[in-house]
Amino acid sequence: MKMDRELALREAKRLCDEGGASEIEVSVHQASEAFVRFGDTGPTQNADRDRVDVSVRVRLQEADGYREASASCTSLDPAKTSGALRRARKLASVSEPNPELAPMGGAVEVEQTELSEATAAHGFESKGAWVRQALAACRVADLQPAGLISTHGAVRTIVNSNGREVQGATSRAGFALTALSSGGEGWGGGIASDVEALDPEQVIERAVRKASANRTPRALEPGDYTVVLEPAAVSSLLLFGSYYGFGAREVMEQSSFLCGRQGEKLFPEELLLVDDARNAIYPRLPFDGEGNPKQRVELLAKGALGNPVTDLNYARKLGVPCSGHSLSQPNTHGPMAGNLVLATGDKSREELMAGIERGLLITQFHYTNMIEPRDLTLTGMTRNGTFLIENGEVTDSVKNLRFTQSLVKTLQNVSGIGATPEVTGALFDGEIVTPWLRVEGFRFTSSSDF
Amino acid sequence: MDMKLAQAAVESALAAGADYADARVNHTVHEELCIQNGEVAAAESPEDSGVGIRVMKGGCWGFAAASVDDEAGVRELARRALRVAAELAPARSEPIRLAPLTAGSSTWETPYELDPFEVSLTDKLELLHTAEASMSGAEETVVKTAEMSCRREEQWMASSDGAELYQNLLRCGAGISTTAAKNGTAQRRSYPASFGGNPRSAGFEHIQGLALAANGERIRDESVQLCEAEPCPAGERDLILMGNQLMLQIHESVGHPNELDRVFGHEVDLAGSSFATTEKLGSFQYGSDIVNLVADSTIPGGLDTRGFDDDGVPSQRWHVVEKGVFKGYHTSREWADRIGEETSRGTNRAEGWYNPPIIRITNLSLMPGEWELDDLIADTEDGVLLDTVKMWSIDQRRLNFQFTSEIGWEIKNGKKTRILRDPTYQGTTPEFWRSCDAICNQSHWNLWGVANCGKGNPMQVAEMSHGASPARFRKMTFVR
Repeated sequence: MKMDRELALREAKRLCDEGGASEIEVSVHQASEAFVRFGDTGPTQNADRDRVDVSVRVRLQEADGYREASASCTSLDPAKTSGALRRARKLASVSEPNPELAPMGGAVEVEQTELSEATAAHGFESKGAWVRQALAACRVADLQPAGLISTHGAVRTIVNSNGREVQGATSRAGFALTALSSGGEGWGGGIASDVEALDPEQVIERAVRKASANRTPRALEPGDYTVVLEPAAVSSLLLFGSYYGFGAREVMEQSSFLCGRQGEKLFPEELLLVDDARNAIYPRLPFDGEGNPKQRVELLAKGALGNPVTDLNYARKLGVPCSGHSLSQPNTHGPMAGNLVLATGDKSREELMAGIERGLLITQFHYTNMIEPRDLTLTGMTRNGTFLIENGEVTDSVKNLRFTQSLVKTLQNVSGIGATPEVTGALFDGEIVTPWLRVEGFRFTSSSDF
Repeated sequence: MDMKLAQAAVESALAAGADYADARVNHTVHEELCIQNGEVAAAESPEDSGVGIRVMKGGCWGFAAASVDDEAGVRELARRALRVAAELAPARSEPIRLAPLTAGSSTWETPYELDPFEVSLTDKLELLHTAEASMSGAEETVVKTAEMSCRREEQWMASSDGAELYQNLLRCGAGISTTAAKNGTAQRRSYPASFGGNPRSAGFEHIQGLALAANGERIRDESVQLCEAEPCPAGERDLILMGNQLMLQIHESVGHPNELDRVFGHEVDLAGSSFATTEKLGSFQYGSDIVNLVADSTIPGGLDTRGFDDDGVPSQRWHVVEKGVFKGYHTSREWADRIGEETSRGTNRAEGWYNPPIIRITNLSLMPGEWELDDLIADTEDGVLLDTVKMWSIDQRRLNFQFTSEIGWEIKNGKKTRILRDPTYQGTTPEFWRSCDAICNQSHWNLWGVANCGKGNPMQVAEMSHGASPARFRKMTFVR
């Protein structure tokens, strides 16, 4: 699909001009995606799809606050978008005024961002070639493959009746491969804005190498271990800070792990965790769901936790400048740090493992979830290759283990930071940029039979 | 008009050379209302319309989807889907085969008494305000939320096997929750279930019957008491799960491992695989002999109660586990053949028009037993009773799990005693179900809706219900 930026902008402005409300915000999301899922017999689910989402938010001002509501449709057809505007106005007219809502923002300057042409041009024949490569490598190694190759492009346009007008584009290409034997699995993956930055051979080699080394994992007693976490494992942990901790709502509701810890020097000095949508490795949209420019926020720096991220409403509640971390409004989640970047250190993989008498190398965690928000106590299982480190070297693969551990403690116990950043996600939403980490005293509470 | 659009898509695909084609035209209207701390936190009215076309060419699938609403648009979509299949077919080592189906014309609509979209917004907001206000009165309370969701999904489906199917699915749900903060902890209680309440395939009468306001004061007090409670101690003791916790155990440790595409490793890249491999079918002791788990896409009120799936296969009822023995899988036309079954179980579903269908859990329930809850508690010497899902985690083969409930009550010598905070239990699936020695009777049985089940890659969300009454599991491991 050709994502017609002008049409999106024009229709958004037309709706704002249609009026009938004190404030109107129109958000248009145009997306085009192509993906191939594959298994042992080749491609299994293969899709070429487009969508347009138009969301209209209206405010009716009363003496005691705004009445607010939103409605959406999946078309830029004026009849349908005007229908959404009418539905939003109707809903708002029966809602009670909310005195806590901040006015919509006015005009701002944000830089233009463009789609990756290479990512958009990556067709199904190219994806099919990668599938064949993966299948061939797995066949040679007597492994069963399963994976996903996807390319995605999106344009976001936000216009409001207070003069705000922003538009930006993002691209994403991903290749993930899990290789299975009867004994265990191995995983490799890559994510980039530009498909040409992906290295399919490296993804395949990593998955096959890990699976081949994980055919006969042995049982290991749960307990406290020094662990070396690969980026895909780090992301499963840090993303919970995004979901539940770094936002102003959680802090105001006293459910954030930031509560009572902000400013205290509790963490290693060299840890630097920022939210930075403009990072050079995986840049995302430079504005948030209200069209606010996204600010770079130091969430953890110089050994201490910083301030939470905000949107317009929470910035007003806290009396601080807006950091530009709104989700689409209205929402009950509050602001979210959605572009985490953990700064690299100077350690190679070998240096991270050096000196570990008996520890574990973790490829990924599966189904990480939160038990308690104030310490951000998490649990999850290792997957796709868990390896024993003895005297600084990988010696064997082990059966999967369940961890139960506070993220606060994990960050406090970081004893080494890798030199190479990777873009990686997790089972749930979100992607981050992170290097490998070494963590002392990571607690495993049970084990599996595989 | 929409059936004609679906038929035009299929005809276009066949004319362009497809070996098989189906098309779904979907139109969904949705209304979300949320009151939080006295204010309207969300009032939303999304509409979603589009067409998804799936074709087979050279034994390979191709799918294309877009928000088109005319014949020229669907013809172009059909060509795109065909191009996908044709370009990828050389990468398949063997053709996909579909189980046979005799399809025809049919219609199915969710039965309801009161159309939620005919109820005035004022009445809905008043119901929520009353429910939210019922949780007021404790200074420790930091969040009070009352929310409701009503959704109507219409689908017109046509296929080259002769299907002309229309269904109109109506789903409604509501719930309340409150969080208290004190003593360095924040504790939430929800009613009737967490994460938005308990949705059903029903009309507004379901929301009216939930008695939200009547439960506000209780959960407010419990959230405060949880902040003052001791954490549930680690150790081994008996576990009684209320239905709104047990439903998640059914979902995660029976439903997902029962999806046949997982069993064959095709979901392993993200969602995971399954320990319930095919050689276990018919003989594996999944649970104790009182454990009967029934899949049922026809049960009244189930979130996945419908006329047919997105293959066009009619809804069915079957045992997944019967008297403790593993008996059947969730399948699709594509996957039934792999285990030698002649027909699909009819559980191939897509999230709307934008996604290709994949095997999804349907309504899956633990059949009721004989016990009264009071008798079950009286019969338990050393145990913990757990209510309402708080957190869950399970490994990629669906064996090792760890779940936390919002609240626990210690049971000592047959009496429910003190409240325990963050009760967390851990186990492995077959050992858990084999330890089940008592299930409460039909009067305690309820259908619990799951509105946010994620599977697939890219992930899709699906809905289903799980029926359960409270049940006891002997000597479970509690962790801290």
